[in-house]
Amino acid sequence: MIDCHGVMKQLWEYLDGELPLAESDQIRDHLAMCARCYPQYRHQLAFLALVSRAAAATAPRREFVRRLEAVLASAKDDPT
Amino acid sequence: MHPLGVSGNLATPLGIESLHAHGRAGMSDREAFEREALPHLNSVYRFALSLTGNEAVAEDLTQDTYLNALKAWRQYELGTNCRAWLFTICRNLRSRQAVRDQREEPTDAADLESLASAALHAGLSESSPQRGFLDAPELGDVVRAELQKLPEEYREVIVLSDLEDQSYATIVAILGVPIGTVKSRLFRGRRLLQEALIEYARDAGLVARTGGPR
Repeated sequence: MIDCHGVMKQLWEYLDGELPLAESDQIRDHLAMCARCYPQYRHQLAFLALVSRAAAATAPRREFVRRLEAVLASAKDDPT
Repeated sequence: MHPLGVSGNLATPLGIESLHAHGRAGMSDREAFEREALPHLNSVYRFALSLTGNEAVAEDLTQDTYLNALKAWRQYELGTNCRAWLFTICRNLRSRQAVRDQREEPTDAADLESLASAALHAGLSESSPQRGFLDAPELGDVVRAELQKLPEEYREVIVLSDLEDQSYATIVAILGVPIGTVKSRLFRGRRLLQEALIEYARDAGLVARTGGPR
């Protein structure tokens, strides 16, 4: 059986979906019944969601996108 | 002759399609490029921004990435991870441009970082009467600002993993570093970001300032 320490050591890899199935199952089962680890898991999950949300709001400027499309079009057409 | 051997309009020179692996019925190189590579523009730009920390430089790097991708398009195998392929080009271009900091690498500290991150939250949940401060709407701006303050090697893995959902193995391929390094950079970067967020949350009164049990 995996203990709290072991779960916390592998929590990121678990959340990233990088663990082998057997280990992942052990951690999932532990989280489901551990009042100490479960809040940590929820917190890390919320953190990852926040980072993803925040970073996704970054987008290139519209003018840049137009310029890039023009550059790519001319790069194709320009005989070298 | 144009490096790709295709004209700018829809007409494809006879025989081009059959000369290489990209021959898909009715699709020219240009169409394939536009269909597979262009939709990743936002991702490539965000990755470039994570590498450079500057919008104008990120735009130039993004443009160079796409021009290089266009030139090398036949090396890309259709249907594979095009986004990761573009990231690799972007990263290689950046490495050539910039003299990267030679910091001491954290080696094999991944599990310790994971523990440190958990410990951060353990202290916090005890001191905080409010749960879920990470849901506060203004934290998006804080994350973006703090992400830019992180050293580049942490920022790039966080963007690749947490925003772009690339696997550790793909990140290994993009960055050309061992998996232990990817993990320790990722986990350390996350922890640094979490520390900054907690600092902000304390200052903003989103969580209790002093530690200790409730």
